Amino acid sequence: MKEQDYDSHFSVPYLLILPSMIILTFFLYWPTVQSVILSLYRTAPFGSRKIYSGFDNYINLFTDPTYRASLVRTSVFVLVTIFGGLAISLILSVLVNQKLKGIKIYRTIFFIPYAISPTVSGSLWVFLLNPVAGHINYFLDLLFNIQIPWLTNGFFAFIAIIIATIWKNMGFNIIFFLAGLQSIPDSVYESARIDGANSFQIFRKITVPLLSPTTFYLIIMNIIFTVFQSFGIVDIMTQGGPADATNILIYQLYRDMFVNFRLGLAAAQSVILLILVLIVTFFHFKFVSKGVHYQ
Amino acid sequence: MRKFSFLMVIVFVFLLTFSAVAQEPVTIEFWHAMGGFNGEIVNTLVERFNESHDNIQVEAQNTGSYNDTLTKTQAAVQSGSAPHIVQIYEIGTQVMLDSGIIIPVEELGREVAQDNNFDWGKFLIPVSNYYNVNGQLNSMPFNSSTPILYYNKDAFREAGLDPNRPPQTFEELKEYARKLTIRGEDGNVERYGFTLGIVGWFVEQMVANQDALLVNNENGRSARATESYLDQEPAVRFIRLWKEMVDEGIMLNPGRGWDGAKQAFLSGRAAMMIESTAQVTNFTENAKNDGYELGTAFLPRPEGVDRGGVVIGGASLWAVRDHPEEELKAAWEFLSFLTEMEQQVYWFENTGYFPVTKAAVEHEMNGQFFAKNPNHLTAFLQLLLSKRSPATQGALIGTFPEVRQIVEEAVEKTLQGDLTPQEAMDEAAARVDRSLEQYNSLYE
Repeated sequence: MKEQDYDSHFSVPYLLILPSMIILTFFLYWPTVQSVILSLYRTAPFGSRKIYSGFDNYINLFTDPTYRASLVRTSVFVLVTIFGGLAISLILSVLVNQKLKGIKIYRTIFFIPYAISPTVSGSLWVFLLNPVAGHINYFLDLLFNIQIPWLTNGFFAFIAIIIATIWKNMGFNIIFFLAGLQSIPDSVYESARIDGANSFQIFRKITVPLLSPTTFYLIIMNIIFTVFQSFGIVDIMTQGGPADATNILIYQLYRDMFVNFRLGLAAAQSVILLILVLIVTFFHFKFVSKGVHYQ
Repeated sequence: MRKFSFLMVIVFVFLLTFSAVAQEPVTIEFWHAMGGFNGEIVNTLVERFNESHDNIQVEAQNTGSYNDTLTKTQAAVQSGSAPHIVQIYEIGTQVMLDSGIIIPVEELGREVAQDNNFDWGKFLIPVSNYYNVNGQLNSMPFNSSTPILYYNKDAFREAGLDPNRPPQTFEELKEYARKLTIRGEDGNVERYGFTLGIVGWFVEQMVANQDALLVNNENGRSARATESYLDQEPAVRFIRLWKEMVDEGIMLNPGRGWDGAKQAFLSGRAAMMIESTAQVTNFTENAKNDGYELGTAFLPRPEGVDRGGVVIGGASLWAVRDHPEEELKAAWEFLSFLTEMEQQVYWFENTGYFPVTKAAVEHEMNGQFFAKNPNHLTAFLQLLLSKRSPATQGALIGTFPEVRQIVEEAVEKTLQGDLTPQEAMDEAAARVDRSLEQYNSLYE
């Protein structure tokens, strides 16, 4: 048999990735490069003036207390949403992992929030939390005689968007946890039970560690969800208010771009977000092969 | 003979083609921000125009909110697909003037379309005053509105107040709201005396109503605005009243935006509110259906302060320059059609936005429309009785949409108790100054 001559096929792999490279270049890399360039300019609305300003946009951002506060706020928002959301999802998925009659219906119910659009879910929560006609305050009033200013008080508004975001992403998390749970072999549980472990110990020492690849994947995905996709919910529910209490990075970016018409400043913010995502992805790649427990 | 008929056929075919070309209408794209019911009224006006003009076809498209429309216009301009006519809200006036893409309607009418029959003095003074910059009318006034005070007359009677004597001063507003507030046995408020959505527009109007300026350089009309007056007494005084009333529990804070306050008033959770005159028709209908009597009044102002008046709000129509002359002429046809009396009357009676021409107002006076609709009359008188000054002419600010947000944030910070009214407005003024400085430096 003749030996394969790899050198003569030098161009084949490049040809094979060419179609996706073309698409990525035009729709991903080129816009990214453009954002970086734009972030070095100050641009007038309608693009009638364009003034080179070096790193002024970045300097302005990091000296602006509003932006720095938004950075901190976003970190808190992401941390609370992810850990709260994953904990609740894990408990729920253990519950719906049982063999019960009609369990598929329950699973579907939990998945529904993920399937509806952020606009619809945002509006839904606005109705529920409405101080005048909302159901939540109605029941709170009935049971404890309290009225919570959900969307008009900064602290509660922040809680409200966290609840809405957790609720919205729960379906996605449950599906992945379920898949993870079902891939844990029964034999492991069996031997644990024979060794005399109670259900809490089994959960702590077997389920949680064996789920860690899924959990890690979900943490990364949730970071991306909460940083970027909570825009819809914030826009519908609070518009970043009251008094900036829910003004997270992605909403600040939108405001600077589409309300304040500061193209350069918005571009600089998108570059900062890009760098943050790159860092997250770096950790993703690094730890997927190392620290996380795979079977 | 055969040659002759062949020639005839050719001539005939040519004639057909040419007449077809001649009949091919000029298409005009018109972007607007009128959704729902008002959007249908816009469509009716466009249909009427298309039916009466064989050679022009106007295509109206709803492009979302006012802000969306401005954003989409920017994107369209940069990709070379700008519409011919676009509806931009009043606070977008300065940014449109600076955009370099528009042709002032006065230039369009006089020079491009050579329309000598158009009466440039036909607009109501408060309306044309707003859109007149640098000595010419830049955009065609279209939908105009101002805020007025709405109140529930039945609630007034219940509280022992004279339903025909609405509050006229800040002090009275507070006193009335106190009397109108009902608390349940558990201390929770069942009905608030007053409510107001957190919308920057109301602060602007309250400043104008005290005959005070929002920014320097005659409200940005004699030169670019460089300094905000938000930290001065007229604005701060109103924020202070707002804070005091909310803290006392006689005014409901429904949060940012329009819907919360409207819902509270319409459902009877609040007895008074301030809203746009564009809601007169809607509110009157609602009152009729729910069986209460609706009252309207001028905006209150602080005791002992001279009355200024209201600034025209709403939006106007801008023409985009970069189109062939023929299409610009067609765009002018459409703009001038909209200012004709029949269209103005139809628009006003159906939407509640003011008619913007004198002829339409005269028609409504003669037709007893105002006599039958006293709430529309309130709205109208308030505008006509406004003092003519830079204060009521309205401010020109390049970053006005941003300024509105800054003001709304300041109100929120005050109501939450993070800052005192003066501190919040000092901070807001500083932010506006910085924003103005950055904007102005782009055009130096």
